[in-house]
Amino acid sequence: MAKESGTLDLQDLEEIRGLEREAEDVITDVAVVGGGTMGRGIAQTIAGKGINVIIVEKDEDNLKRSKGMLEEELDYEIERWALTESDKRAILARIQWSTDLEELDDYRWVIEAITESLQAKQELFKHLDEICPPEAIFITNTSTLSITEIAAATRREDRVIGMHFINPVPKVPLVEIVRGLKTSDETYEKARKLAERLGKTAVEVYEYPGYVTTRIIVTMLNEAMHILMEGVASADGIDTAMKLGFNFPVGPLTLADQMGLDEVMAWMETLFRELGELKYRPCPLLRKLVRAGHLGKKTGRGFFIYDESGRKIGVAQ
Amino acid sequence: MKVLVLNCGSSSVKYQLIDTDERRSLATGSVSRIGMTGAVLSHRRYDGDEVKLSGEILDHQVAIEYVLSILLSKNHGVLKDRSEIDAVGHRVVHGGEKFTGSVLITADVLKMIRECIDLAPLHNPHNLRGINACLNLLPGTPQVAVFDTAFHSKMPPYAYIYGIPYVLYKRYSIRRYGFHGTSHFYVSRRAAEILGKPIEELKMTTCHLGNGCSIAAVDGGVSVDTSMGFTPLEGLLMGTRCGDLDPAVILHIMGREEIGLGEANTLLNKHSGLLGISGVSSDMRDVEAEAEAGNRRAQLALDVFTYRLKKYIGAYAAAMGGLNAIVFTGGIGENSAIVRSKTCQNLGFLGVEIDEDMNARTAKQEAVISTDTSKVKVLVVPTNEELVIALDTAEIVEKAKKGEVTAPVGTS
Repeated sequence: MAKESGTLDLQDLEEIRGLEREAEDVITDVAVVGGGTMGRGIAQTIAGKGINVIIVEKDEDNLKRSKGMLEEELDYEIERWALTESDKRAILARIQWSTDLEELDDYRWVIEAITESLQAKQELFKHLDEICPPEAIFITNTSTLSITEIAAATRREDRVIGMHFINPVPKVPLVEIVRGLKTSDETYEKARKLAERLGKTAVEVYEYPGYVTTRIIVTMLNEAMHILMEGVASADGIDTAMKLGFNFPVGPLTLADQMGLDEVMAWMETLFRELGELKYRPCPLLRKLVRAGHLGKKTGRGFFIYDESGRKIGVAQ
Repeated sequence: MKVLVLNCGSSSVKYQLIDTDERRSLATGSVSRIGMTGAVLSHRRYDGDEVKLSGEILDHQVAIEYVLSILLSKNHGVLKDRSEIDAVGHRVVHGGEKFTGSVLITADVLKMIRECIDLAPLHNPHNLRGINACLNLLPGTPQVAVFDTAFHSKMPPYAYIYGIPYVLYKRYSIRRYGFHGTSHFYVSRRAAEILGKPIEELKMTTCHLGNGCSIAAVDGGVSVDTSMGFTPLEGLLMGTRCGDLDPAVILHIMGREEIGLGEANTLLNKHSGLLGISGVSSDMRDVEAEAEAGNRRAQLALDVFTYRLKKYIGAYAAAMGGLNAIVFTGGIGENSAIVRSKTCQNLGFLGVEIDEDMNARTAKQEAVISTDTSKVKVLVVPTNEELVIALDTAEIVEKAKKGEVTAPVGTS
């Protein structure tokens, strides 16, 4: 194969540079507020890409618990061959912990992953708005709430955006990027770059209750609960049918338990309230379980029963 | 000619500045942890002067900028001006079926290297970043790409075709490519020189045993077969890679352990090999020490490693219809007398006789470690991939300057 010798002109260079990250866009430090399942998953994913993360929890107890659970989760991934011991050390070395939001005063990327409550999120962002530099991007991991409403609590509505990661974050290659009404194109571009850096495929979503994934999945989970309540099939039967019939990695009731039944109910209620259609009404069985404090995997009991390390050991009667 | 040789990985850049007329290294070093916190540049000048810098190095371009600055620095440098760098030679991992030798980098060549990204998604993008950075930082300086796969590009089809539907070869270019080509090329040439015989008359197996391990059958100077395949996972046992494996095993494990593609990939690439079998370490030195201390799994790992290597030597002797020399190189090949000795045990029927004293005394240096009467010569030859890259680069750039058409040269 002979090639003519040639030179590069400017146009070639422009094209080639597509592969190159612009230096000013390099992300070196990200703050994650909230060390729950989602917060930890997001932090692990970010640290796994060589970026420093600080996780801010509300108090020492929660921080300690979150830290312990992250270690357990990493060990489990090693056991599952997904990570090595040195990956674990590298990830933990890049994660800092804090209970003080004031420490975020020089962070340009803040991801919120606290409880799914509009009021709580608004209060948090209002507070962060005072602390963080004006150019900082605020990202919320909400599944159903309005980005526009959350952003309204700040004076930087153009720099607030939703990035809806899906549990387990390190494994699921998707993120929905949700634009609020006032989110700027520049902010969207930055969020898209962050997603790319994290190895996630981004789907652009315009603000609407439930976006794509939550709206479809919780409606299906709710339907599975109705089927159980109406005595059509057992919990195991329903999950097996959907797993084998449609190649779901886990059945809908197990998935609901994993997500947390209180969370599922909160999402259904938001959809019901916002869209007003009966199909989004939370199943009475779901309400019953939530009232009884059976919230799924995290409380050891939901549709199924779980041991302390969160492994399924039986069906709840 | 002064050639800057670059080897760009995902978060590292290794470099060496070589004077190709004198075949001499002027400076060598590396930048690690690019894009992470606490990046480090270590630099060593020919006279032994060493320096380590740490700081924030955001991407490959910044890393190479640092490399250029240190090469130019008053206290640690070796150059007065950037223009003294006559050319840049890049190690590029995968050249696919398109590149059978080193080439001058042009817009077309860049496009073609990009097209090979599918074949080496973990390597080629970083190699490209390095090339890009040099286009920006050293505009007008000719650049050459030297491919890891090129030396093996003359393998006959019966050595590179897998026993799967041919349409998959046509559709996705799935075939054996082989890697470490530059190293196999260098040590085979060097071995011929040491033996004082024309390479055209020699049948050799060259064993590159480092973090990754591969063996090549070099017949008359041409690689006619090699143990790494479509990816660097096939063949010999390695530090953390499994090497040859019944393909059904992974399907079975994926079912049993309910793991996906990502986990399976990590399992075979990072949890296997010496580490996976021994449970001790991926480092041969640790495995040898543990085996010596009576650790049976470490001993087993060592046995699997050398047994498989021996099997390949026999297979390649049969494939070539003879054997004149076995060459060891790479970190393990250059340093481990135990591995060399165990590999060559019971190969007397092929005409291999190791001089155990000589073997035990040899580390990191060129040596013939077989007896004078051994029909098959066994050699240790420290590899020097950077020199090959620099020489290829110099040759191509010379030709381009004279206006000659730059046909691929060198390693094929």
